[in-house]
Amino acid sequence: MADKLELDAQTGIAVERDFTPEELEQRKQDLAKQAEIAAAIAAQNKLKEETIAKLGLTIEELKALLS
Amino acid sequence: MGLNAQTAVPTFTASQVLTAAQQNQINTGIPVFATTTTRDAAFGGSNKTLAQGQYCYIEASSQLQVYTGSAWQSVGTGLTYITQATPTAVASVSINNCFTSTFANYLLLIDMTAAVGDGVITARLRSGGTDSNTNYVGQRLIGQATTVAATANPSGTDDAYFSTIQATTASSYALSSNIYSPALARGTVFNTFAGSNDGAGSVIQFVWNNHTTASAYDGITVFTSGTSFTGTIRVYGYQNS
Repeated sequence: MADKLELDAQTGIAVERDFTPEELEQRKQDLAKQAEIAAAIAAQNKLKEETIAKLGLTIEELKALLS
Repeated sequence: MGLNAQTAVPTFTASQVLTAAQQNQINTGIPVFATTTTRDAAFGGSNKTLAQGQYCYIEASSQLQVYTGSAWQSVGTGLTYITQATPTAVASVSINNCFTSTFANYLLLIDMTAAVGDGVITARLRSGGTDSNTNYVGQRLIGQATTVAATANPSGTDDAYFSTIQATTASSYALSSNIYSPALARGTVFNTFAGSNDGAGSVIQFVWNNHTTASAYDGITVFTSGTSFTGTIRVYGYQNS
């Protein structure tokens, strides 16, 4: 299984290949970034749920109060 | 009346000797050329004089064109097919030379059939085979069940965020992105809509991205932060006029 498909629209030539060292480094950076973003979102959601729990309300009740 | 204007659609009989005028009259079919360069070289001189109403087909761009008397224009319904990539279990797809100054705006369609690993679909413009990984800004509006949320720069500023994707429901994933002026020396805007049957229910995502670098790009790379994806990526050009 190759890492990447590269297509030239003018010639129609498509090549499946592995990442170059530079692309692999970029891939590592991208995955680290996405993991960091996912962790931040999870932490935010957890804080939201904990806050709602402390208030003793359901999400629907809180929405009704805020509307 | 131009040189290509016909007054009859003649029929000929067996063994009939055709005159040059008759041959010229029927020489109005649609010639096929490899490129616009070979097209331009094929008219004039000892060849047919280029005139209004002449059609041709360009293999390099898969375009049917007509000569207006002053310029060649693409013939179509406003949308011209450029190319398609059919990735099978890869983590990224680069499409080179799909953006040219022929079109100001493009349509990108991604139709997934399978994915391995949940992740985020992102994209980067590229030029000469190199991705541009700076100067992206974006805004996402995501709706799932009764919850709506907005996020600025949902994938940072080093790529254009397209959407999330879940492996178990990847076959329901579809994305369309209108890409404005990627091949012009100005910023590029992506207006993207994606939807899928996500783990917690159907999800839709509207995303605006702006690549603020004022440069012309000739290609695009699409990534998943999951392990891989399989499907079809098609590129079309919107005719300018």
